[in-house]
Amino acid sequence: MFKARIKADVLREVITVVGTLVEEVKLNISSDGLSLRAVDPAHVAMVELVLKAGAFEELKATACEIGVDIDKFREMLKLARAGSVLRLSHDEDKNKLVVTIDNLTRRMSLVDTAGMSDPKVPNVNLPAKVRVKTEELNQGIRASESISDHIALIATADMFELSAEGETDSVSLKLPKDLLEALECKDTVKSLFSLDYFSNMVKSVGNAPSVTLNLGTDYPVRIEFDLAGGEGYVKYLLAPRIEND
Amino acid sequence: MREGLFSGDTGNRCVVCKGSKMLCGKDRCPILVKHFAQLRARTLVDRLDIEGSSPPGVFVGQYGYPKVFVGPLIPPVTGDTEVMDTPEMWLGRSIDEIVDFRTQLVRGMHAVDVFDVETGGRTVDLVREMALAASPAEAEAEFQRKPRGRLVLDDEVQPFGPSAPLKSLDVGSIKVDHRIEKPFYDTDLRAREAVLDLYGDGVFLSRIQKAFSVGAFGLGRNRRFVPTRWSITAVDDTIGKQLREKVKRLPLIDEYRIYESWTLDNRFIVLLMPTSWRYELVEAWYPNTVWNPDGTDIMMISSHEFYGGRKDYAEIGGCYYAARLATCEHLLRLQRQAGCVILREAHSGYIMPVGVWNVRENVRNAYKGPHLSFPTLAAALEHIRTRLDIRMKKWLRTSRILADIRTQRTIEDYLPVEPQAKEAEGVG
Repeated sequence: MFKARIKADVLREVITVVGTLVEEVKLNISSDGLSLRAVDPAHVAMVELVLKAGAFEELKATACEIGVDIDKFREMLKLARAGSVLRLSHDEDKNKLVVTIDNLTRRMSLVDTAGMSDPKVPNVNLPAKVRVKTEELNQGIRASESISDHIALIATADMFELSAEGETDSVSLKLPKDLLEALECKDTVKSLFSLDYFSNMVKSVGNAPSVTLNLGTDYPVRIEFDLAGGEGYVKYLLAPRIEND
Repeated sequence: MREGLFSGDTGNRCVVCKGSKMLCGKDRCPILVKHFAQLRARTLVDRLDIEGSSPPGVFVGQYGYPKVFVGPLIPPVTGDTEVMDTPEMWLGRSIDEIVDFRTQLVRGMHAVDVFDVETGGRTVDLVREMALAASPAEAEAEFQRKPRGRLVLDDEVQPFGPSAPLKSLDVGSIKVDHRIEKPFYDTDLRAREAVLDLYGDGVFLSRIQKAFSVGAFGLGRNRRFVPTRWSITAVDDTIGKQLREKVKRLPLIDEYRIYESWTLDNRFIVLLMPTSWRYELVEAWYPNTVWNPDGTDIMMISSHEFYGGRKDYAEIGGCYYAARLATCEHLLRLQRQAGCVILREAHSGYIMPVGVWNVRENVRNAYKGPHLSFPTLAAALEHIRTRLDIRMKKWLRTSRILADIRTQRTIEDYLPVEPQAKEAEGVG
C-alpha cells in the first residue's frame, strides 16, 4: 500500500537527482519514507537517496517497490504550479501509479521491477572530507567546462582545490580552510574525475547551500547533500579516472 | 624530396608528369580518371536534349537555399539503369566503374523555392514523381544549353555528371513504389515516422532518402525540398537514433570483437567492446588522399558520442551517422549492446570522394564478415596494431572513447573482489 501527498518542489529535487544518472528507477517505499539506489548505464557513478517520512505532507505505506519512468514524472512536474502538492497512490490491481496535481490525474504505467536489482554499494574508505558551498563549486565547474573534459579534486590540510588542465589554458578554484564550512584532511589527496559526470551531479544539488565531498587519492569521490530541507539526503559515488601512461 | 627537380606548386608537377610518372604519389592520376570519364559522357550528351532511363534519380542542390535547383538525373542510355543510383549495389566495384556510370548521369536543373512542393508546376511534379518510382523511368529532357561536362565530387553525395538548366521534361509512365506511396499520401504522418516505417518495411536507404529530398513525407504544411546532401544524413541520423535507443536496452556483449572491411583502398576496423553504448568514428587520411592532397603528414580526425548521444553535428560529417546506423543495425541483429570504435585508414588509392555510402556500405560489409574475439582490450588493440599501418599510439591519442575506456574506472572496480576475479582490463 502506498498513499502520499508531497510538495511538487520536493519531488522535483528527487527527480532531478535520479534523472542525472538513469531514466528508470526502483523506489523502495515504507512507512519511514522512500529510498532508492541506482547506477548509471556506464557504471561510472551511482546514487543513494533517502527521503524521510517528514519530507511528505502525508505518508501511508507498507513496504513495497515501485518501478518508475523518470520522464513521466518530469512531464507531470512541468504542469505543477508554484506550491502545488501532488497526491500519489499505488493502484495495486492495475499496477499503476496514480498521480494527481490540482484537478489533473495521470495514471502512470509502472516499470517492471523484476529485472532491477539493488546495486551493491562499494565500501570505500575516503580519508578526506570537505564541506564546500554549492555556489563556489558551480563556479569552478563552469570555468572548467570550456577547457577540459576532466577535473582534479585536491584536498590538503589547509585548502581544497578544483583544477582543470586544457591544452593551452588551465583553471583552478582554490578555497583556503576559512572559506570552507569544514575540512578534515591529514595528508594531501588528489583524484581525477570526468567533468561531465561531476558537473551534472553538482547541478542536481538544488536548494542545499553546501555539499560534502569525501576524497582519496586515485579513488572515488562521494558527494553528499541534503534534500527537502534536511528531511532527506543524497549520496553520489563517482569512480575516478586514472591516467596510466 | 623532388623539390630539387621541380620546384613550385603542384600544377607544375602535373605538367611535367602528364599522368604518366605519378609524381603526385597517387596510384592513378585523378585528373585522368576524371577526364576519361567525362569524355565518355560528353560524346553522349553533346546536344540540347537527352533521352534515357533514369535509375530513377533526382538531385536537389543546396546552393541558394531556400531557392534551390531540383531535377532528374538522366543517363543517355535506356534499360535497367537502377544500379546507377543505388549505392547499396556498389560495394566491391572499382572506383573507375562507379565514376563511369555516375558520370553518365546528366543533371537537369530547375529553380524552385523549397516550399513549392505542391505548387511548383509540371516539372516539379514530374521530378517528385520520379523520386517515388519503383523502377527506372523513361525520361526525355530538353536543356537551355548543352550540359557542361564536369564530374561533381562531394564527400557526402555520390558523384554525378554534367548539368544544364531544364527547358522541358517528359517522363514516361512511372510505377510508383507502393510502400513509399502510402506515407506520401498521408499528410498527417510525421516525416520521422514515415522514414522509420519505410526502413522497417525493408526499403533501401537510398530510396527513402530520395523521396525525403523531394518533400514526400511529413505533415502537409511542413513539406519541402531537402538538399540531397542534407537528406542523406537526415535519414541516416533519424533511423540510427531510433535503433540506438533499442540497442541501449539490450544486454552487453561479453567479449571484445573486431570486424574488418577493405575496399576502394579504405581500411575499416570495427572494434566492439563490452560496455554500455558509446560510439566513435576515427579517420586517418594519408597524404595524397582526397582530403589531404598536399600534406606530408597523416591527418587524423574523430567524432564520438557517449551514452546520451550528441547534440551538435559531428565534426567529421555525414559518414559519422552512416557508420553509426550500420553499427546499430548489427547490434540489433546480435540483440546485444556494445561500445563501438571504428578506425578508418584512407590510403593513397582513394583518390576521389565517392560519397557517404562508401562508409555505410563498408561498415555494413565489415559486420557481414567473420569477427575475431578477444578477452581484453589490450589483446584486441594488439591485433588491430597488426591490421593498420598507422601506429597504435596515434590512434589512442586521437580516440576519445579509447582514452576514456583506458582511464575511467567503474563502480565495480571498488566492490569486494569475488572469488572468480574479473580479468584485468586496459593496456599499459
